[in-house]
Amino acid sequence: MTAAQWGGAGATFLASAVEWVEAFTIVLAVALTIGWRRAAVAAGAALGLIALLIAVTGTVLAAAQSDISRIRAAIGIFLLLFGLRWYVKAIRRYAGRTALHDEAKEFTDTRGHLEHAEARAAWAIAFKGVLLEGLEVWLLVVALGHTLSYGAAAGSAVAALGAVIGGGLALRTPLTRVPENTLKFVVACAILSFGSFWGLGGIVGEQKAWPLGDVTLLLLFAAYALAGRAVARLARAPGSSQALQARA
Amino acid sequence: MRKLLQLVFGDPRNVGSVALALILAYGVSRLAPGLSGGVLVILLIGAAAGQAF
Repeated sequence: MTAAQWGGAGATFLASAVEWVEAFTIVLAVALTIGWRRAAVAAGAALGLIALLIAVTGTVLAAAQSDISRIRAAIGIFLLLFGLRWYVKAIRRYAGRTALHDEAKEFTDTRGHLEHAEARAAWAIAFKGVLLEGLEVWLLVVALGHTLSYGAAAGSAVAALGAVIGGGLALRTPLTRVPENTLKFVVACAILSFGSFWGLGGIVGEQKAWPLGDVTLLLLFAAYALAGRAVARLARAPGSSQALQARA
Repeated sequence: MRKLLQLVFGDPRNVGSVALALILAYGVSRLAPGLSGGVLVILLIGAAAGQAF
């Protein structure tokens, strides 16, 4: 694999891990209410649907005989839209302007909600939770996988799922110690780098826009990471303890 | 469906920021292609800063 493919696989792994941690929190809360077997069936059904989506989209994209630069431009623009959203969110959390995602609170809230829910409703909550988080994984696997390596991207998402399930089952508590905002920030910088490279490269020509070639990806990542931290520092809300937590 | 669209594209401000950055970078590429990448990066970081405050 090339350096760019490793970068894409790494970004997919980290982004997937963040989404799977959120999904696991919901499944754990449901499992403690209606039992592990039914919660696992609900999560498995949602994961099956995501796997099907990945397989179908991959096949359709592979069959589409379109100009690679057009596909890259389209995927690049999608990655810019997706990446900028994550980038802004992570910066706002670093700055203490948006609350950090709290898995323990999510777990407590879900359990509180489940106290009054029937078993069928609890099943639906687990299914919907895994499906919504999994859809973001699907989008990234399709976008990065089509241009880099579909197998590597899908494998990274599955490996992240295995790591989260393994860690979660070992602890049997919400995975609160995962530095979620840092992971999201790193992934956002990687996605923005790929998005900028392919988006503009696909529109004006890769050689014209990025004369340094693939090494540009590293420079883009560094630029987004350094600028993002600087913006977070400038935007820090006065007296914010969240900002301090995020730095830890 | 609305949730899925928001998942993919984000809010209108997000879409507008990316569209504007790409259009301006494309415009620069017609005059000085080598500068277009830098312009895109600066505009995206500027857009993120604008949304962060």
